[in-house]
Amino acid sequence: MTQETRPSVLKAVNLGVTYGQSEAVAQLDFDIKRGEFVAILGPSGCGKSSMLNVISGLRAPSKGRVLVEDEELFTAQSKPPRLGYVFQSHRLLPWRTVRQNLEIALAASQVPRGTWEARIDEILSILHISQFKDAWPMRLSGGQRQRVSIARALLIDPSYILMDEPLSTLDEVTARSLRQELTGICQRTNATVVFVTHSIREAVYLADRILILTKGPARIFEDYKVPLERPRDYDDARIAEVEADIIRRVQAPWGLAMREESSVA
Amino acid sequence: MTSLQKQVWAYLALLLLIPAWFLAHQNTTFIENPVTVAKALPHFLSDPATWTNIGITLARVVFGLLMGVAAGFVAAFAMTRSRLLGDVLSYYVTAALRTPSAIAAILALAIFKGSEAGYVLVVAFITFPYMAVGLRDGLASADHDLDEMAQVYHLGLLTKIQHVWAPFVAPYIFSALRNAHALAWKVIVVAEIFGAAKTGFGAKFEHAWSYMIMIEVHLWLLVFMAIVLFAEYGLIRTAEKYVFRWR
Repeated sequence: MTQETRPSVLKAVNLGVTYGQSEAVAQLDFDIKRGEFVAILGPSGCGKSSMLNVISGLRAPSKGRVLVEDEELFTAQSKPPRLGYVFQSHRLLPWRTVRQNLEIALAASQVPRGTWEARIDEILSILHISQFKDAWPMRLSGGQRQRVSIARALLIDPSYILMDEPLSTLDEVTARSLRQELTGICQRTNATVVFVTHSIREAVYLADRILILTKGPARIFEDYKVPLERPRDYDDARIAEVEADIIRRVQAPWGLAMREESSVA
Repeated sequence: MTSLQKQVWAYLALLLLIPAWFLAHQNTTFIENPVTVAKALPHFLSDPATWTNIGITLARVVFGLLMGVAAGFVAAFAMTRSRLLGDVLSYYVTAALRTPSAIAAILALAIFKGSEAGYVLVVAFITFPYMAVGLRDGLASADHDLDEMAQVYHLGLLTKIQHVWAPFVAPYIFSALRNAHALAWKVIVVAEIFGAAKTGFGAKFEHAWSYMIMIEVHLWLLVFMAIVLFAEYGLIRTAEKYVFRWR
């Protein structure tokens, strides 16, 4: 099945977000297909968080619609869709063990209790954190906590997973290893991922497609298809070339000075 | 220093009170000899009347504290949910916080004519503002990040209360509970003495003091201290240790 023929998972139609007189998101239209890994790239303050709040169901848009698997996200009568969210910080309940944190998500998603143990064991094994099943989050490193957060998002078979700069607070070595695993896990589980990042290289390495936003209020400046096959190597020269190409494209719309950078903060 | 070593030091410090007590006994007529008191203790503790009176005071404290906690919870929720209610209730809470325990005891006992309800209400009135203020502070500093996570993962209201909000405000609750508990014991004794109660710890203490039965005064005091320390270290701190085992 080609990407274009895959069913739509998350669709935004003429989406806009306004706070009083201030417009955070001007107009967004996109359609994310099942199994796609889409990165959202935009300068600071462009309205990415507002967009995430809307497509995660946390707040209703000021205008436009969000469709999840062709169902309206913001209708009172429909059952809310299952979605996973990996926040910038882990947002685990510190007073619950790793297993209990995962169980709470499973219970809330109404996953049959009989399958919990096997699901938890499998996902922890995939993320190489099986040994921390009964550990308190406070006893884990930043990278391990973020792995648990990813496990929580994947565990519930979500329609899609939102990741809001999930690796930005980690050291580079941990972030690299997690990035590499993330691509493998998402391919294995055929997860649909919306990944917000500031790092162009990270977006190029991870994504099938990059939605490049303008400066705020956000619009889609370019829907960029990453022209690289998988698996990818983070240090591959071709990734650097694509990154440089994107930097060239965003110079004007982001109002940047002409200089080569590996990431745009 | 290990926790066992710390405990040993704490007990040693406690034992130092015995020579201090002995010194005090030698220098005043009101302090009994600790040996005499120790000898009388087994008989005192084997008397069913002792336990009946302790039980009566304990029941007054427990019911009053429960009412104070419940009222404190209601007030705290109201104060955080509505600005108007918050403003109005904060006056009541501030006034209650600053009302001297003895005054509250006299007023309640005058109103309730020394009935059981009077004793329980005195404890409730004195302890509720501590709970209200403690819980209000906890709720006001709630972690919105965890709230968002709960919303995204569609956690139900009960799950949110049990697993997100309650553990978050638990430190505030324990801190308030500790203050309220300590105050409850103090105020109940005052109330029992002022209310001319026939039963209860305060009544028996007052009786012994009036008739200058100093051994009995010491025995009631010892029992009182033992109960308060047991409630603090045996119950509240143990519960606290369990609740915060993740730290």
